[in-house]
Amino acid sequence: MAPPTRMDLLQGTLDVLILKALSWGPLHGYAVVRWISQRTEDALRIEEGALYPALHRMEQREWIEAEWGVSENNRRAKFYRLTPAGRRQLNAEAESWRRYAEAVGRVLATATA
Amino acid sequence: MLSWRRSFRLHLRKGTVEQDVNDEIAFHIDQATRELMADGMDPQAAREEAGRRFGDVEGIRRTCREIGHQRQRGRRRTEIVSELGQDALFAVRQLARTPGFTLIAVLTLALGIGATTAIFSLLHAVVLRPLPFDHPERIVHLWMVDRGQDRSMSAGNFLAYRDGVRSFEHLSALRNASFNLTGDGNPERIVGARVSAGYFETFNARPLLGRVISAAEDSPGRDRVVVLSHGLWHDRFGADPRVIGRDVRLNGLVHTVIGVMPVGFASGSRLWVPLALTPEQMGNYGDSYLRLLGRLRPGASLAAAQTEVADLAKRLETVDARANVGKGARIEPFVDHLLGGYRRRLLILLGAVACVLLIACVNVANLLLARGAARSREIAIRAALGAGQGRIVRQLLTESLVLSLGGAIAGIGLAHLGLRGLVAISPAGVPRLGEAGIDGLALAFALGLGLAASLVSGLVPALRTARPDLQTLLKEGGRSFGTGSPRDRVRTGLLVAEVALALVLLAGAGLLIRSAIQLQQVELGFDPAGVLTAQLSLPRADYPETDRAAAAVQRVVTETGQLAGVESAAAISILPLSHNDSSSALEIEGHPRPVEQRLEGSTREVSPGYFRTLRVPLLHGRDFTAADRAGAPKVVAVNETLARLAWPGEDPIGKRLAWSVDDQTGPDWRQVVALVADVRQRDLAEDMRPTLYLPMAQSDLWGDNDIEVAVVARTAGDPSALAGPMRRAVRGVDPRLPVYDLTTLEEIRAAAAATTRFNMLLLSALGGIGLLLAAVGIYGVISWFVSQRTQEIGLRMALGATEGRVLALVTWQAMRPVLVGLGVGLAGALAATRALGGLLFGVTATDPATFAGVLVVLAGAALLASWLPARRASRVEPTRALAP
Repeated sequence: MAPPTRMDLLQGTLDVLILKALSWGPLHGYAVVRWISQRTEDALRIEEGALYPALHRMEQREWIEAEWGVSENNRRAKFYRLTPAGRRQLNAEAESWRRYAEAVGRVLATATA
Repeated sequence: MLSWRRSFRLHLRKGTVEQDVNDEIAFHIDQATRELMADGMDPQAAREEAGRRFGDVEGIRRTCREIGHQRQRGRRRTEIVSELGQDALFAVRQLARTPGFTLIAVLTLALGIGATTAIFSLLHAVVLRPLPFDHPERIVHLWMVDRGQDRSMSAGNFLAYRDGVRSFEHLSALRNASFNLTGDGNPERIVGARVSAGYFETFNARPLLGRVISAAEDSPGRDRVVVLSHGLWHDRFGADPRVIGRDVRLNGLVHTVIGVMPVGFASGSRLWVPLALTPEQMGNYGDSYLRLLGRLRPGASLAAAQTEVADLAKRLETVDARANVGKGARIEPFVDHLLGGYRRRLLILLGAVACVLLIACVNVANLLLARGAARSREIAIRAALGAGQGRIVRQLLTESLVLSLGGAIAGIGLAHLGLRGLVAISPAGVPRLGEAGIDGLALAFALGLGLAASLVSGLVPALRTARPDLQTLLKEGGRSFGTGSPRDRVRTGLLVAEVALALVLLAGAGLLIRSAIQLQQVELGFDPAGVLTAQLSLPRADYPETDRAAAAVQRVVTETGQLAGVESAAAISILPLSHNDSSSALEIEGHPRPVEQRLEGSTREVSPGYFRTLRVPLLHGRDFTAADRAGAPKVVAVNETLARLAWPGEDPIGKRLAWSVDDQTGPDWRQVVALVADVRQRDLAEDMRPTLYLPMAQSDLWGDNDIEVAVVARTAGDPSALAGPMRRAVRGVDPRLPVYDLTTLEEIRAAAAATTRFNMLLLSALGGIGLLLAAVGIYGVISWFVSQRTQEIGLRMALGATEGRVLALVTWQAMRPVLVGLGVGLAGALAATRALGGLLFGVTATDPATFAGVLVVLAGAALLASWLPARRASRVEPTRALAP
């Protein structure tokens, strides 16, 4: 059993988080992991390696583009950037997440009342 | 340009998918390790922790590699597709720049592809499609073989084969019959069949409604039941599902409808009644009137069945020697009998159209070569700039592919129109012809032809064009001097092929044209002009005695003879040229022969006045009269062929012959009272057959069959105007008798020549197209030769050659490959026309006159096609030709 403060990722959630992370500008994979753990204050448990298949699949779907560049400490790193298609995908996903969370929240609110 | 950059990048990245994934993961773990160390962890522990947080490194690496490879493959696919698209677009643009060339090439190919597709559709509809029966390959005919010919079987033999051959799951017998259908509505003549129980099971056919004929119903007295075809059910009974159990009158007898067959089950019959053999018939081995159809057991081979029936045929010789000695038995697949003749004819047509298509391809190849020559500078420059030869060939092939696909699409339109025309003019009776159409298979066939045509016409020009001699071309500015370059050999080869193909095609067409002419000139032996004919059928139920039937026919003839405008009228059992026959083995008095060597003579029952009405010359003796009735001395008339074979060098009048022999009283002799001229009995193409005529009232050949006769009436005016009065005359004699198949003898004669005329028309059209295409092709090639040699010709003329000499020289050089082509074509044609064999009439497959004629026509066309450019060459001004 995981501690109550750390939750396993729901299916498909990782994609939205990656898209959101990249919406601020190009990042390499490690930076994406850091961004997500900072923003969620480590509330979500991410297996770091799982990030890469997700990134590559999204690249295949042309939601994101990759290019080799140089990291802040001058090392060769692969940077990912959101494409217009990726941005549309992010908006759509964010919207459906919001509605989903609202609906679940409403149900839970009435149940405890 | 975009695609170039992309493919460039692709090449750099090739094989680096692994590297990329490794680098990316290594960077991640490195970065994590550094940060953990910065938090104070020692390097070893930090590296371990970073790896733990990352998870299954090897598994993730593998997944990422797979995704990477997938992406790479997908990208390569899109690139190839987009390159093809670019090539095609480029090709279309190039072709649009020369609309004249494009139009001619597309139309040429469309003609070839369209014709080939149309004939293929016919072949598919009529021959290649499986028959609509369960395991059609197991359905067979069983014939008696008599002196090499397939014959019908006797009832006795039928039962022997049915019960004695293990290879048959079912063996059934069929006898064609027509019926006067009376009752509600007009009396109607229906073509049907009497079939034994097991007939429908032979085809494994189930009825749409009701049931089929049972074994119990296949016996005399219980046989008053009828199965309707779908067509008859529809037309006569309004597709009423309650028709089962209803009574209908057939030939005056009440029959109960027990079943209706589905649409596909027709085969010419519109209804079926039980055969119901009598015990007397079952014991009869001599009278052969049954067609046998069998279904082989699963697993039984044709060869095994053939052996079995041949053995039984041998044993049957001892059962009834008189009927069976010297007779064999043969099994023939049902489909072969039904479609065999058509398969050959349509394959020949397909061969002919394939010739046209090849000529079309050769023409387009020539056009493409000329185009390639014109573009050789462009190609050389592209090659010099680094375009690979493969790339250029692909581009050029794409061009011919676009042309061919254009040709295929236009060809499909032509095929659709052509097919409708073909079906409209084709001779009657071709099975399944109405179902021919441009379907998915025909579309695929046409597109496949387009693809093949693009290769045949495009490959050689593309290879030639893509491999230009760079230095010479760029140096000489595209002008080459002399005639020894390899490209000329290619063109010469194409010319030879074209001439040879055209010769094969024209030889076939020529032979068929001569056949049709010969057939048109065949001596009929009678005069068909102005003769109307109508069929009449007198059912045995109403006319049990032949005598009475003959009297009724005579009354109809007399009434008809008195109609206004009728010069004379008569009746005959089987009209000439009706593809029908009845014959008997004859015994000639004083010339006894063994059974199997006896003379076989066609037999015709006629009324007095028949010879006069059809203007068949009565050479000797007397016509039949009303006095030649039943009971009077039995008489016959013989034709010249029979007289010559039976009594060579003697006068036949007064001689006697017989066909039936009584065990007690001996042969039933009949005396010859007349010698008449030969008449084509069955069809135009046959040899004259020995024939004898006998007075209707004296015939014993009908047995218990219904009496069917054709009434003929000669008129000075329009014979078709007689139709109405003739019907009324029949109604006056017996209102129950239907009158059917009203037509003129001229029409019957035209129908007899229809198949040959159809073949001739088609092959002539194809030959004409082939000749035209070949002439255009020859003209094109020779024009090109001449244009290439303008400099040389100018030089010769500057040196004093006369116009005439130049004309002769150029023409001769152009005609040389034509002569080679004629030689090759002659050899090909001699081999190919052998396949025409059975379609020819009055000419041999190697008819010298036809071949000579075709050679002259083709050589003449080639001469004209080379003379025109040669004349142009001879008028070249030396100064112009030699100017740089």
